[in-house]
Amino acid sequence: MENNMSGASAQKATGMANLRFGVYNQPTNVAGKSVKDARDQFSKIWGIPTDAVAYKGKDKLDENYVIQPGDNVEFHRRAGEKG
Amino acid sequence: MSTKRFIVIGAGGVGTWLTAGLVRLLEWKFPGSGLIIVDGDNYEERNKERQDFAKIGNKAVVKAHELTPHFPNTTIIPVPKWVVSDNFAGVTTEDDAPKIKATDLINEGDIVFAVVDNFAARKIIFDAASRLDNVDVFTGGNDDALFGSIYHYQKRDGVEITEHPSVFHPEYENAPDKNPGELSCQERSEIEGGTQLLATNMAVAAFILGRVQKTIVQDQSPEETEIYFDLGIGKSEPYNRMVSHVSQPVNV
Repeated sequence: MENNMSGASAQKATGMANLRFGVYNQPTNVAGKSVKDARDQFSKIWGIPTDAVAYKGKDKLDENYVIQPGDNVEFHRRAGEKG
Repeated sequence: MSTKRFIVIGAGGVGTWLTAGLVRLLEWKFPGSGLIIVDGDNYEERNKERQDFAKIGNKAVVKAHELTPHFPNTTIIPVPKWVVSDNFAGVTTEDDAPKIKATDLINEGDIVFAVVDNFAARKIIFDAASRLDNVDVFTGGNDDALFGSIYHYQKRDGVEITEHPSVFHPEYENAPDKNPGELSCQERSEIEGGTQLLATNMAVAAFILGRVQKTIVQDQSPEETEIYFDLGIGKSEPYNRMVSHVSQPVNV
């Protein structure tokens, strides 16, 4: 059967959310977890600093915010400084 | 096509390579345009490892003199000054450290390239641009290894098309560094240049040129507003920072 669900709809249906940090961008099963827990899970794999602020759109997320299915959560990656 | 005024602020590790591309773009895509190169610093022998220049001297002056004979359809103007904020009240009498206020440098319709090596100066440049109605500011930088990023701020008819980078980057508001233009000669000489890599400097320049090609030459949407890249793992990732995009609910 053909699946016509969009990426975001599919994520909602499966309890998935999207995490981003710098060059990394991955749908993952962190829905239901707090921002802090999601950061802990990906900190070693992606090198997310422990104090990296999480954003949803341009809104900063509280550490205890529970990630919802379909959310697009971005951890702040410091911009390149030198040149 | 109309003529343009490009302002490159910083003629160092990224700026020398970026300028080489921008002047060619102006010469053939926008003949009759102007390229202004701004830098208060001097080239030194040790810079040759990563920076492209023919002789020792002020970076803006050397680079402008180097390019002018080869690009007759582009007016290239050096500004051998440090860019400072409007409220700068520090040292102003040093002969070797002339200053220019960002608001005096950047005008309506300008396309600015903030390729300096610190967030403090970038913020001054973005803040000055944000007071204008029509402007583009491209910036980019790298770390000491193979990571880098670029950002494109755009305003049209008084409306921000992309967000000011400080919305997503607290390092602009709380800069961990200082604007060299607002330091004394002694303080500037004590700043460590770090151990940057040529490949990453050139990649920053190439990514910015790519955005200029798409958004200025081809006049397309700046939806790939910010791009992170890591040459070490061969990845890059675009982020849409357009106001119309980030203001929408993202949980749809």
